[in-house]
Amino acid sequence: MAQYNIEKQLNILDYALSSLWRRRLKSLSVLLVFAAVIFLLASFQMVTQALSDKAGQVLVHTPEITLQKMSAGRQEAFPLAYKEQLAGIFGVRRVVPRIWGYYFDEVRLANYTVIGMDTAEMPEGDRLDSALAGGRMPRLEEAGRVVIGHSIKKGLDLGGRSTFSLFRPDLSLKPFEISGEFSQHTDILTNDLMVMTLADARDLFAIPADQVTDLCVYVANPKEIDTIARKISDALPAVRVLTRPQIQKTYQVVFGWRSGFGSICLLAALAAFVILAWDKASGLSPEERREIAILKVLGWETRDILAVRFWESVIVSGLACILGITAAYIHVVYFSAALFRPVLMGWSVLRPELHLLPSMAAGDILLILAFTVIPYLAATVIPAWRSATVPADSALGG
Amino acid sequence: MKSISQMTMRPVLVFAVLLGLLLLIDGALLVDGISRRKVEAITLARLEVLTGALGLTDLAVSTEARYTRHPAVSDPIAPFMDHPGAIEHFPTGAFWLPPSR
Repeated sequence: MAQYNIEKQLNILDYALSSLWRRRLKSLSVLLVFAAVIFLLASFQMVTQALSDKAGQVLVHTPEITLQKMSAGRQEAFPLAYKEQLAGIFGVRRVVPRIWGYYFDEVRLANYTVIGMDTAEMPEGDRLDSALAGGRMPRLEEAGRVVIGHSIKKGLDLGGRSTFSLFRPDLSLKPFEISGEFSQHTDILTNDLMVMTLADARDLFAIPADQVTDLCVYVANPKEIDTIARKISDALPAVRVLTRPQIQKTYQVVFGWRSGFGSICLLAALAAFVILAWDKASGLSPEERREIAILKVLGWETRDILAVRFWESVIVSGLACILGITAAYIHVVYFSAALFRPVLMGWSVLRPELHLLPSMAAGDILLILAFTVIPYLAATVIPAWRSATVPADSALGG
Repeated sequence: MKSISQMTMRPVLVFAVLLGLLLLIDGALLVDGISRRKVEAITLARLEVLTGALGLTDLAVSTEARYTRHPAVSDPIAPFMDHPGAIEHFPTGAFWLPPSR
């Protein structure tokens, strides 16, 4: 019996495939549009998931508490003396001052992120040189030396030189010598970074000697981050206190379907499905009615015709799903999401090499199926039933 | 002796061959993905050192606007702070949701 049923389903599948082949232009068009929609949704899902994963993995090591000062809603420098005020809070293990700002290069129209700090004071500071592609971090006493990101070096186009200059706010030139370079592989963090000593950063931005822009605070017991953050807020009401869990949480929510681009992807998919469903539900063509009538005259039952329609939908949506997801993976991994880069990086002059490697879990594939294949199958149920219940004589006699 | 029409494969077999080819491509991508993941582990170790040693808070994906370069330390109002009545006009703003606090 089982053998008979399998043979019967294979024969029906044969018929469904032949039927799709007979209408190959239409079938191929539907397949391609369907695959393109799945490609769009899957690419977005893979890019955002890969970026969220990467952020989740590396931001475990971000400072436990970051302090910045806000004035009139904007960030500004604050006295280094705040560091002494933090020393009195029980549980604070270490406070590292930092100058952190942006430098706009008017020649190349590029934004650089400048960080000035004594990296020897930071956790992992002694291993920092091993993370560079070449050279080493400037020591505290080494003025005018800087480590730059891969894209900055490419943008500066120094040829064989290792020196360049940046403008101070008063338009005087500050010379720098490159002491090291971040690896191209770490572009996702260091693409636009310029790391120098605290004194050099102050000199570049004309920040007074007793001021900094950030304090990185490390606590003795990570379970007390929130409590200590609250105590810091009470002691220094003018500062903004950002905790590690808050920063990590940002990257779990910052990419999503509710963003402008995500909504466009989703709406495009929805529009495509409405058109497909409308096409399916809008009625049978005379050829289809005639075909069904002939099948019924030949002895096919309603459920056999339903099975043909079901297999047709499964073949089209299944193939579209495999093609769409495979193409999306190739697009994201081998072409660094090239189609999304204009939106993902916009007018950025420095563009990182994105080495994205999405991990496709069963949940992600189910999400894509839920948005695409399942609505398609659902949309074909009613038309399939209507087609299967066409009286034979109405089509042939008509 | 079989005629040519009898020698052609039935549609199910043709479809199975096509499906097999597609799955073969997916299998090759999977194997390549596993080898890429090993390289990725080395890079990840470097990224962890950099994050810890420099106190980094954000990914350097888009460098055009402060709030998309450093969304984790930006306020949701930041895109609209440049001048009164300012609208958010950077393309990358379309990709990021405002951080929730």
